[in-house]
Amino acid sequence: MAEIAVGIDLGTSNSCVAVRRDDSVEVLRNSYGESTTASVVFFGKDNVVQVGNAARASIIHDPVRTIQSAKRLIGRYYFSEEVKKARAISAYEIVEGENHGVLVKVDEEKFTLPEVSAMVLREMKAIAEARLGASVTKAVITVPAFFNDNQRQATKDAGKIAGLEVLRILNEPTAAALAYGFGQDLSQRVAVYDLGGGTFDISVLEISEDVFEVLATCGDTFLGGDDFDDRLIDLVADEFMQAHGVNLRNDRYALEKLKVAAEGAKKGLSADSEVEIRIPDIIVDKDGNSQAIVRKLDITEYAALVNDLVQRTFKVCDEALQQAGIVGRDLDGVILVGGPTRLPLIAEAVREYFQQDPKNDVDPDEAVAIGAAIHAASLVNTESEAYLLDVTPLSLRIGVAGGLAETVIERNTPVPIEQTRTFTTFKDYQESVEIQIFQGESREARGNELLGQFVFSGFEKAPRGEIGIDVTFEINADGIVDVRARDRATGQEASTRITLSTGLSESDLDRIMEEGRTDRVSAQPAVDDVAVTEPTGLEIDEGRGEDLDTGADEEPEPELLVGDEEPTTRVALPEPGPPEPTLADSPDTVTDPRAIAFETSGDAEIPGLEHSPSAFESEPSAPDSVIDVTDMIEPAAELTEEELLPDPDDLEVLEDVELDLSIDLTSLDDSDEPRTDPILDNDELELLDEELFEEPGTELNPREEPGTGS
Amino acid sequence: MSTLAPTEILALARILPELDYYQLLHLQPGASPAEIKMGFHATSRAFHPDGNRHHDAEIGEAIDKIAKRVSEAYSVLRNPRRRQAYDYQRSCGGGVRIRLADAETVGGRQQSEAREGRTPQGRQFFNLAKQELSRKQFAAAVRNLQTALTFEPGNELFKNKLAEARAKLDDARG
Repeated sequence: MAEIAVGIDLGTSNSCVAVRRDDSVEVLRNSYGESTTASVVFFGKDNVVQVGNAARASIIHDPVRTIQSAKRLIGRYYFSEEVKKARAISAYEIVEGENHGVLVKVDEEKFTLPEVSAMVLREMKAIAEARLGASVTKAVITVPAFFNDNQRQATKDAGKIAGLEVLRILNEPTAAALAYGFGQDLSQRVAVYDLGGGTFDISVLEISEDVFEVLATCGDTFLGGDDFDDRLIDLVADEFMQAHGVNLRNDRYALEKLKVAAEGAKKGLSADSEVEIRIPDIIVDKDGNSQAIVRKLDITEYAALVNDLVQRTFKVCDEALQQAGIVGRDLDGVILVGGPTRLPLIAEAVREYFQQDPKNDVDPDEAVAIGAAIHAASLVNTESEAYLLDVTPLSLRIGVAGGLAETVIERNTPVPIEQTRTFTTFKDYQESVEIQIFQGESREARGNELLGQFVFSGFEKAPRGEIGIDVTFEINADGIVDVRARDRATGQEASTRITLSTGLSESDLDRIMEEGRTDRVSAQPAVDDVAVTEPTGLEIDEGRGEDLDTGADEEPEPELLVGDEEPTTRVALPEPGPPEPTLADSPDTVTDPRAIAFETSGDAEIPGLEHSPSAFESEPSAPDSVIDVTDMIEPAAELTEEELLPDPDDLEVLEDVELDLSIDLTSLDDSDEPRTDPILDNDELELLDEELFEEPGTELNPREEPGTGS
Repeated sequence: MSTLAPTEILALARILPELDYYQLLHLQPGASPAEIKMGFHATSRAFHPDGNRHHDAEIGEAIDKIAKRVSEAYSVLRNPRRRQAYDYQRSCGGGVRIRLADAETVGGRQQSEAREGRTPQGRQFFNLAKQELSRKQFAAAVRNLQTALTFEPGNELFKNKLAEARAKLDDARG
């Protein structure tokens, strides 16, 4: 058999791993029998790290040690809007690292985001190894199509730290299209509408048999199911404030319970028209009375709550269709990907927008991992069976005079691609030029994401304009950017890319691997061999065997659906049923059986916290108590407002940091002579370019006065 | 399904600097959008970067280089504005490549002409030379082009035009 290479969908909320063997693709289930695993990392006090459901169970009782939605932070600057927002709502501590990077802090230990994601990847690797009974070292890892270079690089680093050779960073919608069209000999134009936990992507593809050409991709990395949850949290918290005069947002534990409830309600409303949110004992008020939340929510009210978010996705779709040069009804199919697309209100809105019924051929939670697995297999096999022709989602730009950023490679250009531009000095006898690289759609440098900047020096001192520096910009098939500079006179090369924040240097990476902190992820329990060796195609692997030496701190086996009743398209098994006694093993727990509950009005009780899709209503009901194990914990001491809300002064400082961005590199100027001007001014960089392509009209000098030609 | 032998791949990588976008994608200059797309797909099957994993480094590098040029060719030819700029450049005897950003901003013929030359003086003398050429005043054209080149010594367009004017001057003198 050929080498094993898996596909991993590293999601904001949940991750999924799949493998293609022979002619079938199999989603590899975790020891709970679930196809997806929570992308949550819990740092236990005993130095053991848990990932997945065990970790998710910790969100409520130990939120400061439980890292969730790390994907929203990976590859971002500390001063970015997203990180500010995460700091305001996250119970865990987010601190600034070197070069404006982001670290999460647990006790006194700080972790980079690639390390946190590596822990999730380690768990996925372990799940695959347990299922396959073999070591797994190669993987295709997916990212949102709209991820920029910093985020892609950081994800690739996470793979490396997790001990994986990352064969390819693949865009999620492209992977989903592959899952949809692989081996089908289609000739179709399709849109992939991918609404995940934290991001939204829309890709328009043309499938011609074995070629999957992305015509355009657009996205919003600030828009996902989490935002839907936030709307509901706000609504419930506001109502509670009015009724009881207590702001639940100021209580970490209450807030986490609300988050869990909001997510559960969203899932419930994917199957039913009404749910009941019940959170007994959400908080103890000043008089010592325990307060509860009991509230019905129907789909109409929910739709109104999130309508503008849904409409925002269609603004992005407008853009993608326009870039692809087609209209919605030209499409042969619309593929829905991501958990939130299970909401009927999304499917309905999509139907209206694209004027056609969305396809339901692929499972919204598994399609991305399945596509990644197909691609992973084709990368380790000698013969490719599908050709993915993807594009860069964001324009690549270079900083030029006047604080502007000029396009070098426009968005939606096919990758891999390379472009060379020539630059010259702006001042007489200038010793170095600084090159700033951006990604984004703004003409103004500040409106884009800064990928990095480097200083190029060592060329001869000459009057302004006489030095020629070729700068080559490359975007590879992973969507990762590389920039090299070359002195035309001497041929001297420099590719000393200085990444400002999120990127780990080679030495950082070596040190992290050396430290091996991600090894702490507790091992995935072994899975019975029988379950392992049966390739079941896209079908679910029913046998779970006598798994799992779960260990005292693990949850007990969940109820498993077996046999013919189990539909092949299901998303995820329900949350491991109500395993009352288990967490009591943990010293932190108390036995107070408080609960967050969801009930459909009318119908049967929903087993478990996560509302399963209606397809499973026939499954044997779990006990009525509808108790979430994660909620059996007494809240710790009340937290003060200051601990939760960012200090306004902090925010001002953050703004300053942003302004200071360009100052960091002054130390890199190793010139002996005192300088009167800072070397970092982009005004010193002039586009030259004239000889490179020999065509007329090569002049790109931004200072050129127009209309003086004749 | 890289059907080309390794030696053919290396040979193609070697002649890449000479191939124009149409040749690279196996197209006729007047190719329709559908033909351009088919050409892109066919060429991509042969030179996809995913295909280079199983070759040695030299072949892998060659495939990578070709794949990048194929993307560039397609980016230009599939976009009518860029394609027009490229075709114009080729008709003026310009290079086989065009920078994507230029093809985008230059767009049509008029803009191209307006941007001939990097300096106002260079453009001024270049335009004078063109007027002299149209009036068959070849000696004056040569002088103006020489002057234009003192402002922009590296300008290939000026150099080409100068060579053209000199040749015509020689012809005229018999």
